[in-house]
Amino acid sequence: MVLPTAISFVCGVILRLALFRSSLPDWLSTKTEVVTPLTSWGRAMEGLALHREGISPYSGDIFHESPLMLKILGFISRFSPNTINLIFVLLDIIQGMILLRIANTFGRHMLLRQATSVKNYHPDAKKNLLRKEDLMDLQFYVTVAFSFNPYSIATCLARSTAVFNNIILLLALYQMLKGNSFLSAVFVALAAYISMYPIILCVPVAVHYFLMSRKGGMHYTDPTAVVSYLQILGVTFVSLAIMLLFSMLFVGSWEFIPSTYGFILGVPDLTPNLGLFWYFFTEMFEHFRTFFICVFQINVVIYTIPLAIRLREHPTFLFYMLLYTIGIFKSYPGYGDVGLMFALLPLWKHVYQYMRNTFVTVCMFLVCTVFAPIQYYLWIYAGSANANFYFAISLAFSTAQILMATDLLFGFLKREFYLHNGDKHKLPDGTDAQIILDS
Amino acid sequence: MASDNANLPGGKITFLLFFALVNFSFTIGIHNDNFSEELYVKPFSSGHVMFHFQFTTVWNVSIDKPESFQHYHLFPKSLGDVLTTYKVKELHLSQTQGLWKHEKWGYPPEDAPPGDELWVWFQPHSGVDQTWADLVNALSGLFCASLNFMDSKSTVQPRWSFRPAGLASEFYSANSRFVRYSTLPREVVCTENLTPWKKLLPCGSKIGLASLLNSVKIYDGFYHSLGVHVRSVCQDTQCLTPATELKQTLTVVYDPTTNKNGKQDWSFQSMFDRTLQSQCPLADTRKIYVDVTTQETLPKFSLSPVPDFVLNQKRSGEERKIAVYQIGNHLSPSSLNLKAMYEEKLTFSNSSLPPVYANRFVTGYGLERGGVTCMIYNTMSSNTTVIFMETVPWFLRVYFSSLRIENDGKEIKPYKINFIPAKDRANPYQMELVFRLFANSVTKITYSFERAFLKWTEYPPDANHGFYVSSAVVSTVLPVASQYTATSQSVSLLEESFSDSSSSFFLRLHTETLLVSLPTPDFSMPYNVICLACTVVAIAFGSLHNLTTRDFTASDPSKRKGLVAKLKSFFKKEKESPENKPDSKEEEIPSQKDKDNSKSEEKDSKKKDGNSET
Repeated sequence: MVLPTAISFVCGVILRLALFRSSLPDWLSTKTEVVTPLTSWGRAMEGLALHREGISPYSGDIFHESPLMLKILGFISRFSPNTINLIFVLLDIIQGMILLRIANTFGRHMLLRQATSVKNYHPDAKKNLLRKEDLMDLQFYVTVAFSFNPYSIATCLARSTAVFNNIILLLALYQMLKGNSFLSAVFVALAAYISMYPIILCVPVAVHYFLMSRKGGMHYTDPTAVVSYLQILGVTFVSLAIMLLFSMLFVGSWEFIPSTYGFILGVPDLTPNLGLFWYFFTEMFEHFRTFFICVFQINVVIYTIPLAIRLREHPTFLFYMLLYTIGIFKSYPGYGDVGLMFALLPLWKHVYQYMRNTFVTVCMFLVCTVFAPIQYYLWIYAGSANANFYFAISLAFSTAQILMATDLLFGFLKREFYLHNGDKHKLPDGTDAQIILDS
Repeated sequence: MASDNANLPGGKITFLLFFALVNFSFTIGIHNDNFSEELYVKPFSSGHVMFHFQFTTVWNVSIDKPESFQHYHLFPKSLGDVLTTYKVKELHLSQTQGLWKHEKWGYPPEDAPPGDELWVWFQPHSGVDQTWADLVNALSGLFCASLNFMDSKSTVQPRWSFRPAGLASEFYSANSRFVRYSTLPREVVCTENLTPWKKLLPCGSKIGLASLLNSVKIYDGFYHSLGVHVRSVCQDTQCLTPATELKQTLTVVYDPTTNKNGKQDWSFQSMFDRTLQSQCPLADTRKIYVDVTTQETLPKFSLSPVPDFVLNQKRSGEERKIAVYQIGNHLSPSSLNLKAMYEEKLTFSNSSLPPVYANRFVTGYGLERGGVTCMIYNTMSSNTTVIFMETVPWFLRVYFSSLRIENDGKEIKPYKINFIPAKDRANPYQMELVFRLFANSVTKITYSFERAFLKWTEYPPDANHGFYVSSAVVSTVLPVASQYTATSQSVSLLEESFSDSSSSFFLRLHTETLLVSLPTPDFSMPYNVICLACTVVAIAFGSLHNLTTRDFTASDPSKRKGLVAKLKSFFKKEKESPENKPDSKEEEIPSQKDKDNSKSEEKDSKKKDGNSET
């Protein structure tokens, strides 16, 4: 499978390079589904222009990147437009490389985990077990899912700064799989520094760290376990604090905090996207606004708790699920988040057979992706539709993402159940039993 | 004085002298002000005629000393109280309907943007923002205008464009902390603004030139502008003590050719529907000036009555002929109906262009992105430096990086830039650019913006009408007075401005306001949106809650009921539950039709017990 992997990787790079020569990047960089106020290249350049003129980019409401990104983007923007395009392709190549490494490590990690817990499995579950050959293919599937994933391609072509966030998240996952939990925690802190929400990813990293160092049947609420959680949390928060402090020293004041994290939390920019926030808070009654902002922001992170408890044995999957919920519910979601989800989806290839709504979900994704720019055009340019048309699409897209996430979780849990209980279930009277969720 | 008193013998005389002194100083206190009323009529080659009324009160007290603002005589007390309470140094308010066409009409005596414009210099004190908020509220009551909407979202502190117009110390020109500038481009000016404006005049609206201000006819005009300007001026040529000047102006432009058979004939009767019956006895100067520079060129016209005299004046080399009327000379025997009779119909021709003028417009299409272009024309044969100031509301996100100044395809580097980006719902974009206008050229300023999406409560009732962007302000100093009609800065009256040998004329002109449409949400369905969005969140929450709190179990598919069966059993339960008791014996009770009392039930049960025993 090495050759097909290499071919698809190269094809993905060529595809991006070729598309950069078309008029597609200009079109994509104005699409609100692809770029958000947080990740728009145009807005970042505006912030840099202000910075160069000696005006604080945070004194206005166009630039919302963190000071570190200001520095990085300032470096990149010195190159010619063509070179910048190349840099974005290069960033995608880096993403692809990390994904390859992740796929590789993930396979080994899964086999290792399977080996340790196989003694708890039902004897019938033999054929459900992962085999080495299947995991060898993972690299190929992940590469295909990344190279030809329209969401990732669109993000790259639109020069969305979400690419940086994605790279850091992938690095965090990679280091976690490799077992470098502290390094992983630092990357989580870095991702949180850029886009705030990934701070909840320190939970799977902490759980993973504990599982690695667990001796015997130590429980999750054991004092030793708590100490190991606190270690990871400590590393995350201390590195985050250091980054914030350096940022403050770099820009000279704390005014970037309301402009970046305040902007993410308060949702003052109601530019349409494929998320749930924009139209909801456009149409919100003024005296309920604060309440619902709290509700919606809590909604992004609240799933950490039940998922962490339920998936405590599977921190990698927990990491993925949390990444997914952030991508769905964050205040300014873009295709960058969706692209990352799809690129990592083949890791859970062994769960696909237990999923129920794949066809419906895929259709919904296709329809929404095609219709979103059309409805936006009809509303904003043609004037023949109104905001509700685009809102309907954004709702459907969110629903599709939710269906996909819950379906994946359902499949994952069902597979776990089959592994532990076998897939032949007889009632006492000898007839076939049905497997259902029961309280 | 004390030594004089000491020399005088006798208490009675001393008392009398004291009384006389007090009386003298008191009368000085009252009569240290003067008032003038002037009307300046200027016919334009486009067929329009401008009538500019100017009422000037000069009071020999300093605005810097609020305690001296006592014993009001000619100065309006209502305004004086506001000025002293809010520590105003200088105040300029204009309320305008219509757009002044610089290309056709030259420069107005007081340039004003469509809508309301207010700029104020405060005396140095802390908490200027609060004072400004209080002041605009007080003024909105005084002038019956929506000035209270001049909040932080539309107020800026210009650094270079708005220097004090009157006497002020050096301190002010180095410091823009105490100036506030705001406009309301959407404001409609009408008769309810004219009435409070007239009330500030010492003679009211019944006598004097103000009696011509018939609101029905004034609001028929092409353009009208009310102005109130308060500033410090010199008391005398030595300029040792400051005085306070209140200048009230009203400019109205008519087009008489439309109903005079193509002729530019105008008269008080036809323009204001009344004649001048009286003069204000409180005024020192009561004059009417008619610009007759073009009288001898075609089409010729004659004035009736014949003017008292015609001034041949030169203003910076430009010759002007002004016919002057002393109002008092023309009121008897009948009232004054000033008339201009033209010999021929108006022939439309290209009027000579003013030295500097500007146009501004919105570019782009769709409701997402757009741009603004401002063309500044310099028709002089010399270069000049201008200050361009623009205030853009926060919901048009101006990209500073897209700002370009071009002249003939070449980019111009501005000498100075003052750009303050907007904060959402807090303050507007403020842009001040200082750059060179080359001789006989057009300079183009462009920038692009992105439209913000507002909350549904932030739209005005007619959301699809669009949002106004206030005029840009172009300030410069002209070396020539061509088409320049404003009062010179060093004097108070129009009369004193006609002849002027200086070679620098401060010009401030306003461009068009802009109307920009913003994308609108559907205003009819807030409930639906809230419900639908919450439903999607509920789908996620419900599913994840289910999956994380429940376990998989094996169950008998034959025992699993379908939806219909579930519903049936649910309703069955509902029906039975009030009658059934959770009693183990219930099943054994054969029927509950007979409604016995508790005793019979006991008997029954005993019987049954007996039965069961047997």
